[in-house]
Amino acid sequence: MSFLEFVEGPLWYVAAAVFLIGALWKVVGILRLGRKADLSIPRASATAGAVRSQFLHFVPHGGFPFRTIYHLTAGYMFHIGLFLVLLFGAPHVIFAQNNIYALPWVTMPYWGFVVAAQVAFAGLILLWVRRISDPVMIKISDKDDHIGSWLTFLVMLSGCMALQESVVALRATHMLLVDMWLIYFPFSRLMHAVTFMFSRGYTGAFFGRRGIVP
Amino acid sequence: MTSRGLTRFLQKLGCAGVIVLGVWFGMTGIALNAPAFAQTQDPAAGSVPGDTKGSTSDSDFWRSISQGERGKVSIPDQKAAVMINRSGEDWRLVRMGPLPLWGGVLIGISLVGILGFALLHGKFKMHGQRTGRVIPRFSQAERWVHWFVASLFILLGLTGLVILFGRFLLKPVLGADALGAIANAGLQAHNLLGPIFIVAMTIMLVMYFKDNFYQKGDFTWAFKGAFFSKNHPPSWKYNLGEKSWYWLIAFAGTAIAVSGVFLIFPTVLDDVRGMQLSHIVHAICAIVLIAASLGHIYLGVWGVEGAVDGMTLGYVDETWGLEHHRWWAEEEIKKNHAVKSASEAVLAAKKETST
Repeated sequence: MSFLEFVEGPLWYVAAAVFLIGALWKVVGILRLGRKADLSIPRASATAGAVRSQFLHFVPHGGFPFRTIYHLTAGYMFHIGLFLVLLFGAPHVIFAQNNIYALPWVTMPYWGFVVAAQVAFAGLILLWVRRISDPVMIKISDKDDHIGSWLTFLVMLSGCMALQESVVALRATHMLLVDMWLIYFPFSRLMHAVTFMFSRGYTGAFFGRRGIVP
Repeated sequence: MTSRGLTRFLQKLGCAGVIVLGVWFGMTGIALNAPAFAQTQDPAAGSVPGDTKGSTSDSDFWRSISQGERGKVSIPDQKAAVMINRSGEDWRLVRMGPLPLWGGVLIGISLVGILGFALLHGKFKMHGQRTGRVIPRFSQAERWVHWFVASLFILLGLTGLVILFGRFLLKPVLGADALGAIANAGLQAHNLLGPIFIVAMTIMLVMYFKDNFYQKGDFTWAFKGAFFSKNHPPSWKYNLGEKSWYWLIAFAGTAIAVSGVFLIFPTVLDDVRGMQLSHIVHAICAIVLIAASLGHIYLGVWGVEGAVDGMTLGYVDETWGLEHHRWWAEEEIKKNHAVKSASEAVLAAKKETST
């Protein structure tokens, strides 16, 4: 078995299993913590507040937009670029069709892949720069934040380095980093990709019950 | 031996002799005829080998082709009339010779110079004590853009150096296959990150434009010994060296950006000579910037005590400001921009960013 076959075969399945089971385990753990009984008189629906907050918090409101313009822009650049590359990049679609599902899927043209990757790179680097140069961010960032940022960056960088798909070693390096990223995911703040819905829901329900737009 | 046996033996001997003599005559015959053959192929005689017509010899014929001789074609694309583009060979010779050689020398001089200076002179320390009062120096936006450009510059610089010097430095160590993989990877990353760098650099140049005009006093700073003098000569927000670094980025960076676009989109030029020129300009400007950036990184991060604070925290100590950029610091103090503490400086910087 070649190294590429190993990272795309057994290691990939192990990493995917750790990712899925780990993430599920973490979510179940968070839900099992429960919450204190809310004794306040309900003025509105907590459920409606929870649902509303899911969408409202995609954009800042009140006095926040200008203060958050930097990381709002950089955050959207990174996440939109990443999801476009991940979901519609031709190499990813082919890999998914071979290893996960065999449904037909739309792929981006090559130039679209490159532009999306550039937007994602710019966003990620801007977010990391903020982490190392904002006095508050410096203080609240720990190893986990930096490892998560760097691991994601390396996955993306190795992916773009393997873009020509002419060198097996580059594809293998990219896949190895993807496997590492999947294994690291449930044990890190990368879990925010899943938990953001719960935290928004909790906040939305709390304020929604009190008749406040969260 | 009977008489019949003797006869058979002599017959066989005779046959063998005939064969040997035949072969010998045949060989000598070819040898004897060779000069005659060569004589008939004499270019001066009007006939050359290889079906070439006229009185031009093969060597002259191919020499003129290799030197870019233009022939005739009946198709619209007249570039096709040139069988071998001589400028390609010229470019290859520069790419494989003087470019990496002198580029390596320049970067080497920069590295050795910095190392020697660091060992002999050490750090530029502050003469006075830190006051605790600080002066905001770079806004959040300025710092973010600076580090964004710096991150991309390092990535592009490393991948570019692998592409330019890999054949000479990495191939003997890693082998051709490994170098092929690394250089391929480097090129992909270089092409992908390059356009982001162009946008980021443009924003940075606009953002830092205001304070980087040469003005009265800049050259006095240099004539008085710059940072080598015992008492640091006064300067504005940026001294002559820093302003020159800015303009080097502006001109060399722009040249890198434009030539880089031509390299990524070769059809824009529609001429291979333009590509070759773009490559040479791209490489030379990049080498100059990399060599100069080593000095910038050394002085900014380690060589000058307290300098890095400006770009990481956004503020510098009042003493540092007065010692290194006296005229700027005095103006800031007059404007009441100097503040008592770091937290106030952060708030001031944030306020400046949001207005």
